[in-house]
Parts: sequence; structure tokens; C-alpha cells
Amino acid sequence: MSDTKETTGLSRRQFLKGSGAAAAATALGTAAAPGALAAQAPAAQPVPGMGPAGVKITLQVNGRKMSSTVEPRVTLLDALRNYLDVTGCKRVCDRGTCGACTVLLDNKPVYACSMLALEAQGKEIRTAESLVQGAKLDAVPAAFVRFDAQQCGFCTPGFVVAMKAVLEQNPKATPAEVEKGLAGNICRCGTYEQMRDAIYSLCNTKRGS
Amino acid sequence: MPWPTTRRVIGTKVSRLDGPEKATGRAKYSYDINRPGMLHARILRSHYAHARIKNIDTSALEKVPGFRAFHIIKNAGAECRFAGDEVLAVCADTEEHAEDCLRAVRVDYDELPHAVKEADARRLVAGQGTLGGANNPANTQAGGDFATANFDAQAYQGTSHQIEGTYGAPVISHQCLESHGLVAEWNQDQSELTVWASTQAVPNTANQLAQNFKIPAARVRCITHYMGGGFGSKFGPDIQGTVCAELARKTRAPVKLMLDRAEEVTVGGQRPSAYGTVKVAGNRQGDIRAFEVDCYGSPGVGGGATVNFNLLPYVYVTVPFIKRRHQIVRMNVQTARAMRAPGHPQNCILTDQALDDLAAAVGINPIEMRLRNLPPNDPNALKTAPNTYMARRNSIYRSQIEIIRKMCDWDRVWHPPGRGDGVVKTGLGMALHTWGGGGRGPNPTRITISADGSVLVQSSSQDLGTGQRTVAAIVTAEIFGLEPTDITVQIGESQHGPSTPSGGSTTCPGTAPAILRACEATRAAFLAAIAPRLNNAQVDDLVIERGNILNRANNERTPWRQACARLGQNPVQATGDWAAGLSDQGVGGVQVAEVKVDTETGVVRCTRFWAVQDCGLVINKLCCESQVAGGVIMGVNYALFEECIYDRATGRQVNPDMEFYKLGGIQDMPQIYVHMMDMPERGVIGIGEPPTISTAAAVGNAVFNAIGVRVEQAPFTPERVLAALARRK
Ligand code: FES
Ligand code: FES
Repeated sequence: MSDTKETTGLSRRQFLKGSGAAAAATALGTAAAPGALAAQAPAAQPVPGMGPAGVKITLQVNGRKMSSTVEPRVTLLDALRNYLDVTGCKRVCDRGTCGACTVLLDNKPVYACSMLALEAQGKEIRTAESLVQGAKLDAVPAAFVRFDAQQCGFCTPGFVVAMKAVLEQNPKATPAEVEKGLAGNICRCGTYEQMRDAIYSLCNTKRGS
Repeated sequence: MPWPTTRRVIGTKVSRLDGPEKATGRAKYSYDINRPGMLHARILRSHYAHARIKNIDTSALEKVPGFRAFHIIKNAGAECRFAGDEVLAVCADTEEHAEDCLRAVRVDYDELPHAVKEADARRLVAGQGTLGGANNPANTQAGGDFATANFDAQAYQGTSHQIEGTYGAPVISHQCLESHGLVAEWNQDQSELTVWASTQAVPNTANQLAQNFKIPAARVRCITHYMGGGFGSKFGPDIQGTVCAELARKTRAPVKLMLDRAEEVTVGGQRPSAYGTVKVAGNRQGDIRAFEVDCYGSPGVGGGATVNFNLLPYVYVTVPFIKRRHQIVRMNVQTARAMRAPGHPQNCILTDQALDDLAAAVGINPIEMRLRNLPPNDPNALKTAPNTYMARRNSIYRSQIEIIRKMCDWDRVWHPPGRGDGVVKTGLGMALHTWGGGGRGPNPTRITISADGSVLVQSSSQDLGTGQRTVAAIVTAEIFGLEPTDITVQIGESQHGPSTPSGGSTTCPGTAPAILRACEATRAAFLAAIAPRLNNAQVDDLVIERGNILNRANNERTPWRQACARLGQNPVQATGDWAAGLSDQGVGGVQVAEVKVDTETGVVRCTRFWAVQDCGLVINKLCCESQVAGGVIMGVNYALFEECIYDRATGRQVNPDMEFYKLGGIQDMPQIYVHMMDMPERGVIGIGEPPTISTAAAVGNAVFNAIGVRVEQAPFTPERVLAALARRK
């Protein structure tokens, strides 16, 4: 674990300490020794223990507050899909390699399978479902549709969200930069070629042959 | 009614009707179904590749929070024959609790010997086998033995050049992004079952469940509105389907059971391996006289061929002297399932790479080699069925080769093998493929036209991602003078009647004719119904043109909606089914890969790729091209990245995931140039499978062309490339 400043309300370290630190740390295979863990933990302010029973959480999803009771071990992805019925983010690898679960967390793309739901509280979560208002499609999913950058479509919401993130952060992104932003996503049907058509159109660039 | 000769919508580029739903995550796949009060199920599996269950202790389950029910799949005494084999299933109120339940069950096993490598399994003779059953039969069995008459005496007569090489590819996984699984729910008195299953065969899945639970087929409903990939691995409820429905019955609650990724990779399907030693001999001009192959592969613990035995050599089936032998090597991994053109990619790897090696030995251009050895057009077929692959195969491949030769600038870019400059060497490689495809029935399709002008198309057929929903809308829009977006399509529900499973590239050719015939029947009924209400028009005078009904007798046009309004309270409905003459089978295709091989690191990048595909009448140009590009990408993965790696000691797969089981991302994939060689006169032909067949062999040939030495086994990883380069020195 690095010492970079934690930005979530409840740091992973505090969480571990609060929930029976040392044993949990070893079980998870983390390198830090119990002593080091204790030494680095902020003084005072004990963190209340949580779980294993469910705790009430509130998530801000696509502009709506949604609440449920989940065990602390529940990932953001599972909270969205199993407890809040927000299923645009898909569970495929469930360990941070395929990108199908990509959501925007305070405008940053994250793998929802690799984060606890508790940690996402107080943040603005956006999924692919937010990219349509009534019948009006956002430009990114619209380009996927127009150029047929989807077949079975199971990977697609993840790609759409990842691409949206790149273009929001840099509206002038080049096609190569957008492709780089999609490097953490996998499509089994093989829609990359059509995706490139979508990317070039979104970047207002003509695709050379 | 034949296919219309002038086509306004058919054959154009039409965006998928369900595209917006899917791209914004609103489409509900089976995995996304959440029912009120739904429970979650998980399966406990053997960690051993081969073991006998001694004892199953479920006593601790009752104490697990949220536990609801369990179901034993294999009892004590039964054998588990691969790591991942099902033992028992549990269900609980949440997925988390279901996981806890798995940990609470204790199963004791007696470990038995296993084999998970082909080489190991091949050594095991009768009495030593690891497949279980009485007397431990050998793990191997004959898969075919054939030789042209007088092969030994005559095959090599007069040949000047001969090569012998080994080629092959390992077991790979389908890796469907939506795993196998379903949600099962019974009605109140448990007389009816509804499942939302991820399947390529909607009515089959319902029927099999009906059989398993001994209830009338009409009482089981299978719904598959959206489906996250199958590639040949999802044709029925599977064990998890039956178990899930059983747990739902026991608990009187809806139950969801989706495989996790490790399960998906270890039990959700595999493409069998194929390895072979190939000898090819020919004369100075490159005419092949003898082709000899001795190959083996593993379909896992079950049986089944791993190549298409009768199509060896592949494509070049008229080589005068052929000898082939195949051995099926069973080992303790999951049983193979059909995967996108079963046997063909393996056949292509064993044939087309050897062909290039002979071309190099003879010293001729591989294109020349292919043109000389293409099978001739079949004279009998020319007489009886002049539009078929058999009748036209030589002409088809010849023209495809000429097209691709120009597309990729072959004559300028290709160089003799290994002649490239610099550290990073560029190479071009070609391979050819063929596939049957072809449609059949039953695929009854029902069309309803209502007074508000809406048109509804219904069938039970499923959309795997091929664009089936849009196919129905395109054909219907064409006939009724409408736009595809005007059509409502309801598919993927077993209640709509029978339909053929989506396997073998048969869905479009199986359903499009049915849709056309349903349109024909509905149009006749519709015109008959409105004629009296259109100033007593004669039915024969009425034609449907774009947006209007035209009365040719007086040139009066009635807009579609107004005409439909005359139907009043009586919608018009008719059905149609598949009939011969509107679809066809048998295609050929040619592909060329360009690779760049870094001779210092061994890394192969596929940079550009060309695919020319014969395809009959195209319904949706957009999705058709997507299919071809997608097939190529799957083939590039096969060539460069994919391999199920099994550990000899534990018998378990070490990469049942997506991090060490590699699949390429967008930056790993070539720019792809697709040319559809459509032949509308042949009717509709499925092309889901063909474009993935020859890709790996084309990449292999390109690597050979780049570095001048054959990398024997796919995937062509840096390690294997460097080993091959070392051999050359
Ligand atoms: S499911 Fe989260 S990255 Fe694959
Ligand atoms: S469209 Fe099927 S996995 Fe990407």
C-alpha cells in the first residue's frame, strides 16, 4: 500500500483497522506488517467497526440518490447490479481486467468490480444509462450505434463509458488517445474495427486507409 | 415469392434496431434479470482433475446466514473427471451468502490419476487411463484413418520437392463475456416454469427443461431477449440450468445462477486442440501430388473429433494422393463444445501453413501455389446446381485471390520468406477457407399489421449479437414499403413457436426466407382485407410501394397509415416458414495478414488484415461487415494470444480468467479491410463462422514470411518466435 493521500471518506487502511486489521491484512495478502499498519494509521479517532452484517449505504447514481443495505464486502459493481438494479455495468471478469463494469466516479473511469460500494458513497456515479435522455442519445453511444461498434453488446456499455471519460477529459483527444483510453476494455465479439470508425467520427477526423 | 430483384432496404447499411438499448446499458440480458425475492445460487466444483467423492458434509449449511437450499449433483462414490466438475449447488438470499455456503460444505475426495496434457494422455494405454469407468480404458481412440489407393506405391512418384512440418494450436476457451447461466422462476402452483437463459437455442432450452422436470413443453417458457455471446457453447440449459430450476422449485422463489469467470473458462466450453505432422510433395511448378497428415487433438474428457477429418487437406481437396490419420486424445479437462466453425480453423492451420512451406521449398509465390492447386469447379454440380460452392469453387477462389491481391498490394509488399530488412520484419501471409452454412426450418414467423399502421414480427429465434432482430425489420420494411425503424420485432421467446438453434451460421439463412414468406402471406391477407375498403379496388391492382398503397387501375395512392386504418378492429395476421430456394449454403473466403515481427523481442503484431468473403444475398451490409471483422479479430486472438494452460501436477487450469488468458484489446488488433463478394442470385447464406477460419493460418504464414522460419504452434508468442529464430541460426 502506498502512502499517497487517500481521497475516499474511509481509507482502505482505516477500514482494515476498523474491522480487525491484522488478520484481514494477512488474509488479503497485503505486504504491510501489523506493526507498520498501526504506526501509519492516523492517531486517535477510532473508526467504527462495520459488518459482517449489512450496513445502510446511499449512492448517488445517475443523478439519483439510491439506498440499500449491503455487507461491507460488497463491491460497487454488485451493489449497483444486485441491490439497486442498475445493470448497465456488466460483471465479466470481476477482477479488473475486462472493463465491462466501467463507471464514472466523479468523472473518472473506474472498474466498479474493484472497489467497495462503501467507498463510493458521497461520489457521483455515472453509468451508461445516463447517456440517454428520453430518445436523445449522447454522441458516444450514438456513434457506437451508427458504426455498428457492438455485436452482442455485453462489453459495450463499458466501452461507451470509458470513451466518454476520455472525451470529457479531453474533447480534443486524437483517435490514438481515445484508443489508449480503451486499452483497459476487452470485446470478445471483435468490434474494434467498427469502434475505430466511431472514434474517428467522434474526433472529427477522417480515417485514412 | 423470390427475393425482390430491386432492393431498397435489403443489402444496405442499417443500424441495429436495438443498438441504442444495448449501448446505453438499458438492454436486459439474462445476467441482468432481477426478480422480486430472487435468490442466488452457486455451484461447488471439484478442485481435482480426477477424484472420487468420499463424503459430502452439508451439516454446517443450516448455520450460514441466508442459506436456503442445496442440491447434490454428484453423490458420494461418484467420480469427478476434471477440475470444475459439478458436485453440489447451493442457494441463499444474496450472492455473498451463497459464496459463504460453498465454503461451509465439506467434501472429501479420493484423488485419482489424471492427465491434462496431450503428450501425457497419449502415453496411457488400456488399464492406465485416467477417464474413470471400468478397467481404465486408454485415453486415446482412433479418429480416422484414410489413404488414397496405392498411396504408398505412387504418392511421391515424380515429385521434386517435399516438406515435412509440424503445426498446431492448443485448447482455447469461448470466453463469452456474458457467462452461461439463467434465472429460473416457477408459478404459484409450480406447474409452469419461466427461465431467462443465455442461450443460442431458445425453444431447445425450454424443451429440455420440460423433459427434465417432466412437465408439458408448453408450460416452460424461455426468454432470451439479449444474449452476450455464445460462439457455439450455449445450446441448452446445461447442468446449471437444471440445477437452478430445481433450486427455484425447492425454495419456491426465483433463483439466479450465472457462472463466474473461472467457471466460464473451465466449464463453459472449449475449442479442442489439434497438432499434426504434415508432409506435402509436389513438382517444380508447384503442383501438389501428395498430402499426408498425422494429427491428434484433445476434445477434453468427452469424445469427439478435433479436426474435420474428411476435409484434410482443407480446401485443396482434389490433391491426387491423400493420407490422413487422426487420434482423439481424451484428458481430464472439460469436454469440447462447438466453437465458431468446429474443426475448420484447425484444418486450415494443418493445411495452409504446410502449403506455404512447400511454396518456399519450391521457390514460388504462395499465390501461385494456391492458384495451381485449387479444386476445379465440380462438373456435376455445374449441371445440377450451377450457383453453388461446389459448382463455382475454383472461380470463386480465383476471383477472390485476384481481389485480395490488389487490395493488399501483394505483388509489391510480398517478399520471399525471411528477406525483410532490419530488426522488425514485415511479412504477408494468405489462407483460404470454406464453410457450409445454409438455412433450414422450422422457423415460423408471424406478422401482424394493425389499424394504426404498426407492423409486428414475432419468432422465437434469438439474436446472439449477429443483428437478427434487425434482419427481421429489414426484410419486413422492404416488402411493406416502410423503414426498419417502423417495424416492431419480438424475438427470443419460446412461446413464439419453434425455431432452429443458432449454430453453424444458419440463423440468417434459416429465418430470412421465413420472414419473407410471412411478409408475402401477410401482404396478400392485408391487400385482400383493404381492397373492398379502398373504393372497391381489385386486389390484383394493388401494389405496395414506398409509404403508399398504389391502385394501378386508377393510379390512386393511399398512404400506408390511412390504408391500415381501414382494417378497423381486425388486424391482419399471417405466418410463413423457411422454404428451399431462398437460401443457400457453401462459401469460400480468402484472407491476408500483414505482421511485424520484432526479431529481438519475439513480439508479433498483426498490423493490417484483408478479408474477402463470399456471402450470397446480403441482408444488412453493416452487420455483415461487422461479422467478418469480428471473425478476423477472434482469429487474430487464436493466432497470437489464446491458450488454456493446464498444470500437470494439480490438473487445474492456471489461467481461468482474463488476465493470464489473453485476449487482445483495441490496440492489439490490425486495421481490417473487408470485401463482401455478394452473389444475390444464391439467396441468403450465413457468414458467422467462415471469416474466423483462415485467420490464424494467414497470420502464421505472415510470420513465416517475415522471419523465414516456421513457428510451429499457435499462439505465436514471443517465446515461441524466439525459439524458432534460434533454431534457424
Ligand atoms: S468486471 Fe470489472 S474489470 Fe472485468
Ligand atoms: S460486442 Fe460482444 S463482447 Fe463486445
